Amino acid sequence: MRISDTAYAALEAVVGAENISAKEFVLAGNRVKTPEIPFEYHSADAIIMPRSTEEVAEIIKICNQYGIIFVPTISGASVDAFANREGSILINLCRMNRILEINETDRYVLIEPGVRHVQLYPELRKRGWSYTAASVGPGGSVVSNFTSTSGDHHTQHANSRANRYLLGVEMVLPNGEIIHTGSLHAGSGWFCPDGPGPGLRGIVKGYCGSHGQMGIITKAAIAIDPCKGPAEFISEGISPHFRTRFESKCSKVYVYNYTDIRNVCEAMLRLGEAEIGSTVQKYFYVPLTLLMTDSANEFWQKWESGYREAMSMPLIVHLAPRSERELAYEERILEDIVAETGGKRLPRELESWWEDNMDFFMIVGRLQSVLRLGGGWMPVKLASDSVTHMGEIGASLGEYFSDYMGDGKLLCAPENYQIIPMEYGHFAHIEVMIMWDRYDQRSGKALAEFRARSRKEDIERHFHGETPGCLNATMEEIGPLWSDCNVWMRKIKEQFDPNNVANPML
Amino acid sequence: MSRLNDFEYTMSSCNHCGQCKWILPSRMHGWDFSEICPIYKQFGFDAYSGQGLINIAKERMNGVLEYGDGLEEMLYTCSACGACDVNCKSVRDMELLETIYALREDCAEAGYIPEVLQETARNIEAEHNIYGLPHEERFAFLDGIDIEENDCDVVLFAGCSAYRHPENILAAIKILQKGGVRFRLLREEEWCCGGGLWRTGQRAEAEKLIRRNCETFGARGVKKIITVCAECYGSFRSIYPRFVDTEFDTVHISEIAAELLRSGNLQPKAQEKVLRVTYHDPCMLGRLSEPYVHWEGIIKPYGIHEPEKQWRRGEHGQYSAPREVLKAMPGVELLEMPRNMEESFCCGAGGGTASVNPRLAVKTADERRREALSVDAELLVSSCPFCQDALDANGENSIPYADLSVLLADRL
Repeated sequence: MRISDTAYAALEAVVGAENISAKEFVLAGNRVKTPEIPFEYHSADAIIMPRSTEEVAEIIKICNQYGIIFVPTISGASVDAFANREGSILINLCRMNRILEINETDRYVLIEPGVRHVQLYPELRKRGWSYTAASVGPGGSVVSNFTSTSGDHHTQHANSRANRYLLGVEMVLPNGEIIHTGSLHAGSGWFCPDGPGPGLRGIVKGYCGSHGQMGIITKAAIAIDPCKGPAEFISEGISPHFRTRFESKCSKVYVYNYTDIRNVCEAMLRLGEAEIGSTVQKYFYVPLTLLMTDSANEFWQKWESGYREAMSMPLIVHLAPRSERELAYEERILEDIVAETGGKRLPRELESWWEDNMDFFMIVGRLQSVLRLGGGWMPVKLASDSVTHMGEIGASLGEYFSDYMGDGKLLCAPENYQIIPMEYGHFAHIEVMIMWDRYDQRSGKALAEFRARSRKEDIERHFHGETPGCLNATMEEIGPLWSDCNVWMRKIKEQFDPNNVANPML
Repeated sequence: MSRLNDFEYTMSSCNHCGQCKWILPSRMHGWDFSEICPIYKQFGFDAYSGQGLINIAKERMNGVLEYGDGLEEMLYTCSACGACDVNCKSVRDMELLETIYALREDCAEAGYIPEVLQETARNIEAEHNIYGLPHEERFAFLDGIDIEENDCDVVLFAGCSAYRHPENILAAIKILQKGGVRFRLLREEEWCCGGGLWRTGQRAEAEKLIRRNCETFGARGVKKIITVCAECYGSFRSIYPRFVDTEFDTVHISEIAAELLRSGNLQPKAQEKVLRVTYHDPCMLGRLSEPYVHWEGIIKPYGIHEPEKQWRRGEHGQYSAPREVLKAMPGVELLEMPRNMEESFCCGAGGGTASVNPRLAVKTADERRREALSVDAELLVSSCPFCQDALDANGENSIPYADLSVLLADRL
């Protein structure tokens, strides 16, 4: 089904002819059929680029009037940002890209959804501020990170996940109504996410994050923190061999390897108890090796010649206190904890890579290197719970992952998961990164089978590993593990989106 | 036959991560000047980006998309500047720019190449220059000028800019003569380098010209070519080896000048006033000049290239010599624009864009001038006649322009 000429004309009247297109070659730019997308392939009927909240509201009202499904998109990096059924349009928010306010008194920044990390991060650093940038690369939308799913990131040990930093929000509901949440609703500004009245954070986050199921966020305030390190980075070298060092006497990175995930978790908890460390994480070993190499060929050379064993269960600790004295204190505690939990420090030539590439934004900005093995990559289990529980989930993988490894199956890397504690160990996030060969159908089949098994194992073991996701079938399967969230999500969706036009779930 | 199939791996590997659209984190500096792709900045639709173009290439390869509804013009909004390619290759093993070149060849083979580009090919065929001006006037600017040429194997290659910017060639000649460098000119035997034909998808025409030029170089015993034009430089290094085993070295005038300044054989005059200068890296002198290395093999599971591939990531372009020249001039203060070296923002004129979509090229050039002004420069310097045509113009943002050779020669 194509949207009608009348509907197209109505949409065009909102944004102007240059900001909407139904030309096939323009649609092709977002017609991405990647093997990871678990739903049927469709083309959007049109792509429209609004510039303001009012334009978004008008577009959504027209969608309701003509029964057009809308899917918001910004960076296009998410598999949920594509047309997944006929009669859809994409609302590309890239023109809504202004940093509207940097409020250093109330410590927030007010942005539109099209602002990217590579734009906001340096603007804040110049002024001595930072925020919890997630690992999506420089072109990722900041608003999406703070509103989609959990917003977990690599420095949350000493603070928290990104969605905890979401403050006042302006959004357009699926019926076109513009609402303001938190302190903004009471006319008190952007600084507070809740009240008076019920907090809307859960609803703002949407049906399954901010993939548009609950409307479109058009402005959001996020909390900022004083930054550690230099205001501007001095980069050396030419891509891909650039280095960005922290020239600070109060910044040091340590990388240890462990053989038992329980000991890693114990170290994480004790580091949290001691309240030391800017970053603590058990990192994936495949991406780590990919980050340290320039090509797939080099990856395989390093992986098969000792990197895999040397960094099988790496615990990365970044100490970034305020003074050298404090650094010395934290180092002593760290040494004691690692000695008592059985960690072994990596050889200098491996550990120094981190020193050369601090800070973490730089590292996550290169995380697309994980795609270097042909693009076959799939995060599985993206949940959060206690540090110990995340360790249990990680340990359980070894019991069944081997069934899916080998020729024509998944890459042999059962410890390829990360655990990142947050709020000094009160909570933790897990992500299992499955590497598979996109060009081997057997490997794709193994991926699907592994994902199904992973869900089944979590249900049987009552693990909070898998998240409900954005497919109805998955939601219904996993929802009971998460307090029947599927029931509540469906009710909320029906209430807010009676015409079911806002990126309906499949 | 279309070469699109050669890049199926690239088309199928893309995860639309967006790295091709934005400056690398190592060079981030703020909200402004953060886009790296001129057409993405201009149009906003994802189709107008490296990622979008490889989507389009894939649909062309699979017979989904057809020409005739504007796609053919859209392809040439892209200036083939290669910024997307360098950024993509900072994290991926993909051939983004090569895919764009193959898509242009596909467009040409389908008979949809824009008329203005076909006209350029006809100009070259008839008069051996892109402008269609009389061949015998190629070196007319030397009339009445006494140049000492030597019987040697070093040639100063003027390029088609001899017609439009002879001052650049004269400046290069002055630099060489003052520095005591022996060289000669090919005069009537010099034809267009052909780079523009290749870069706009006119492969057969490019190959014919490249073979002819190499035969001439061989017959005249040329061992080294000095170019004044960045396009010629990049073409000799990154395009010619696709068709022939080149038996000559290519150097840019900035490399020679840097060497002469280093050795003391050139001594620029002192200046009373400080001149705040910023340097624009031409794509074909910088990231796209990296020598072409042919690879043929198979791509095994998990991206293993067998035999191992030598990737061209823009790392070995010429970035240092022009800067060394500027820094060696007394009174010149070099200020870097936010997007520089391999992360340079295109002037907008390359890859046929200035011919097919001049309004877009003008806008892109204006964006680059705005960037030059943002660092408080009072002079914008570059080393490419096409960048010169784009940047040395008035728009919303205006800044005086100088060719690097001219700036140096004036101070000798």
